[in-house]
Amino acid sequence: MPATMPNTTVLIVDDSRVSRLVTRQHILARHADWTVVEAGTGEEALAKAPELQPQLVLLDVNMPGMGGVAAAEQMRKLLPQAHISLLTANVQEATRKRAQDLGIGFMEKPVTEERIARLIAPLEA
Amino acid sequence: MVELSELEHDALVEIFNIGVGQAAAAMSGIVGEEVTMSVPSITFLSRMEAAQLLEDAHRRGGNGQPGGERICGVSQHYEGAFQTEAILMFPEDKSLEIVRLMVGESVPLAELSEMEQEAMSEIGNIILNSCVGTLANIFQHELHGSLPVYQVGSSDEILDATGSRAETVVMMLHIDFILEKHQIHGYVAFILDVTALHDLKEQIDRYLARAMGQH
Amino acid sequence: MTDRLQLLESVLEAVSVGAVVLDGDGRIVLWNRWMSRHSGCASHKAVGTDLFELMPELRGGRVQAAVTQALRNNFSSLLSQTLNRSPFPLYASPAAETRGERMQQAVAITPLTLADSGRHCLIQLTDVSMAAGREKLLREQTELLRMQTFSDGLTGIANRRAFDVAIDREVRRAKRSGSMVSLLMIDIDSFKPYNDHYGHQQGDQCLIQVSSALQALLQRSVDMLARYGGEEFAVILPDNDPQQALQIARTLHERIVRLALPHEYTCGPDKQITVSIGVATLAADRHGDVAALIGAADHALYAAKRQGRNRIVVAPPELL
Repeated sequence: MPATMPNTTVLIVDDSRVSRLVTRQHILARHADWTVVEAGTGEEALAKAPELQPQLVLLDVNMPGMGGVAAAEQMRKLLPQAHISLLTANVQEATRKRAQDLGIGFMEKPVTEERIARLIAPLEA
Repeated sequence: MVELSELEHDALVEIFNIGVGQAAAAMSGIVGEEVTMSVPSITFLSRMEAAQLLEDAHRRGGNGQPGGERICGVSQHYEGAFQTEAILMFPEDKSLEIVRLMVGESVPLAELSEMEQEAMSEIGNIILNSCVGTLANIFQHELHGSLPVYQVGSSDEILDATGSRAETVVMMLHIDFILEKHQIHGYVAFILDVTALHDLKEQIDRYLARAMGQH
Repeated sequence: MTDRLQLLESVLEAVSVGAVVLDGDGRIVLWNRWMSRHSGCASHKAVGTDLFELMPELRGGRVQAAVTQALRNNFSSLLSQTLNRSPFPLYASPAAETRGERMQQAVAITPLTLADSGRHCLIQLTDVSMAAGREKLLREQTELLRMQTFSDGLTGIANRRAFDVAIDREVRRAKRSGSMVSLLMIDIDSFKPYNDHYGHQQGDQCLIQVSSALQALLQRSVDMLARYGGEEFAVILPDNDPQQALQIARTLHERIVRLALPHEYTCGPDKQITVSIGVATLAADRHGDVAALIGAADHALYAAKRQGRNRIVVAPPELL
């Protein structure tokens, strides 16, 4: 198991409870000592972020309210050092480019062990 | 009628959202524009209730035209681990809109020409394969899918044309299709018999168990 | 067994569709004569090659996605000609190839599970250029017909739809160029009693004669006479001020009087067909729009009717 920063906190933002569950499970399977916090909307995530100061934020693109992309943009301003990544099944050039311009990562759904591993890699370095 | 718990329902919605999301990406590749699709909700109904739901949706959304609007349906038959008839449905004028948007034409003809019907068949093929594919992958089951069949008619005709059987349930997905600021509502209906429905529930539970780390 | 095999092979080589079969690794195991003929690639060259190496342009597209769906998920896919014009580099003839004209294709990609050798993928290709050509022709003809339906079936003058388009165009043009546009609304007096007593066929004849008479007087190509409703006509007069519009209204009115079509059942004293006319002008500096112009002309027309019919009323300028 690669060495990691202690007390790594991950914030999972997705309106689907099951999706949050699956993502949480994959992360904890790899790093049982990490703290995983959930939010059901972009607004909720932005409210929790300042106090939480997560090192990794995963946001589903397709959410009611402000949506994942807008929330990610705001999150980037709140947490300039954090790893932020969008999750979506709908991988399009336009979205990919938008994420790149914002300095935000991009992960394809469905969430798999392999994909999570690739995503978490930078934090394990 | 099989009742799903909130969590099971959530799992199904999430699975289908992934499915239509991938279909949207595929269609975006075809049309070169941003396409978004989502499944806001799923309902389980009898075939009659499903036909009624479609009728009501039309009346609410339409121009109040008498005689009911026609529905365009693209259906595919899947069999293997379980059997189902999957039907993508849009009101006729919305089908026209989607095809014209995808093809990029603006000739205002009232009905879908044969070539456009074929385009609609392909759109149905992409969406249905994507939905069922995600389902099959997550459930680790295999199904064989047929080529799409295009039909247009009343909601009764579209839902009945698959052959009447006593104990069937319709799993109805509400679909949102967004392209170029056009937002179009449609449906995907899965016709399932009671056995298939039980299989589905069982598979969802297994998937949830895996998801929660219990093997 | 060999006889049957020979028979099947002959059939496959003779059919007018392309048949390609890929094995589980995407390598070509069958490439029929139709494919050889239209792709320019012989069977012995194709068989054994990865399809996407033979035709690299197919990589990353719908064809590859469909092949994957067939081999991995056991799903069938349809590639319509409308959304995928010519995915494969196929040509109807050598001449077409020289011209760079690809064949329009409909493609079906389906899984094949063979007992001994596992999952394979069948690709069927059909030449749909003719069907596509036919549809194009049909479309063009329908467009032509649509354009023709800008004329009124009975009288042959412009119909309401043409009027709606024209009035919108003229008002906008007038506003852009700072000029004025006038509108006449002409209604045949007591037309319902005419129809009731003389019958609809004669009523139709009356409409034809009235519209002909009116049309004959409107010689400027920019002036438009349209059948606005059952017995109502509209005349658009670009660049006509109120005086000019009134003059034309008088001329038209007099022309109908001189037609002297008998009408025993009219309310007025003269037992013949007459018209009431409402006149309105949208001046250059006014803010009124199409609706206001039509409303004003209508208003004037009603006034003419109320005042006894068979007369012309000009809308007061304040209405616009």
